[in-house]
Amino acid sequence: MEDFERQLKYALARKPEPPAFEAKALAAIAAAKPERRMLWRWDALAASVLIAAGLWAQHQHGLSERAAGEAAKARLELALKITVTELSKIQKTVRTSTEDE
Amino acid sequence: MIKIALITCIVFAPLGAQEIKLPPNLDRLAAKATEVVDVTMDANLLQLASRFLSDKDPDDAHVKKIVGGLKGIYVRSFEFEKPGEYQESDIDSVRTQLHTPAWSRIVGVRSLKSGENSEVYLKTENGKIGGLAILVTEPKQLTIVSIEGTIDPDQLNELGGHFGIPKVDTRKETGHGKDQ
Repeated sequence: MEDFERQLKYALARKPEPPAFEAKALAAIAAAKPERRMLWRWDALAASVLIAAGLWAQHQHGLSERAAGEAAKARLELALKITVTELSKIQKTVRTSTEDE
Repeated sequence: MIKIALITCIVFAPLGAQEIKLPPNLDRLAAKATEVVDVTMDANLLQLASRFLSDKDPDDAHVKKIVGGLKGIYVRSFEFEKPGEYQESDIDSVRTQLHTPAWSRIVGVRSLKSGENSEVYLKTENGKIGGLAILVTEPKQLTIVSIEGTIDPDQLNELGGHFGIPKVDTRKETGHGKDQ
């Protein structure tokens, strides 16, 4: 039991870091930074592309909806024009005949 | 001399009449016609068109008001180079649909001289106008208009003078008991 305790104490005991450990760790962090920075750049680029694509799609949708709306409006005006013109012609014919009689 | 027959009747018809269905054989006439107008606007298209009518423009606002009560507008107009390109039987099915209690023929004009025959029908629902149909047959022209929904013919008259629509003379008829 005492042996086990001794081993445990030894294992958990604080040991001094190996020489140049700090320098190695800092060098590893410094080496990783450019990659991370590149990764961020790609993320930003992808986000920009997505936003641009979304805006373009929205713009296109707006354009096509506007075109469809304007076409529908033109058709509506044509339909009303024909309707009123025919009613007007009928009204005129009836009036003429009424005056003749 | 123009011989005119006017038929006026008011029928408070039972409800539930369906919209006028334009027969598919009309499409066949398009091949013979020199000019064709084919406008089919259901409620969705009318709603879309309405969104593009400005509230600030008086003409647009007026049309918007008319369209607000409509469920559909269907127009077929054919102009032919010579007479005899279509038969009366081509529009028999339209007439049959209009000869139902829901519809009342309010005007019928027949000219033996020009061969023109014009009819205006109104559909009544709960005492209100629920539809308008116009049939005009001329030797070289055939026009069918069907408007579904609440419509006031006076509002249509007010469109005269706008959008290239000829101004309608709205002098009141006097006597003769004729309706328009």
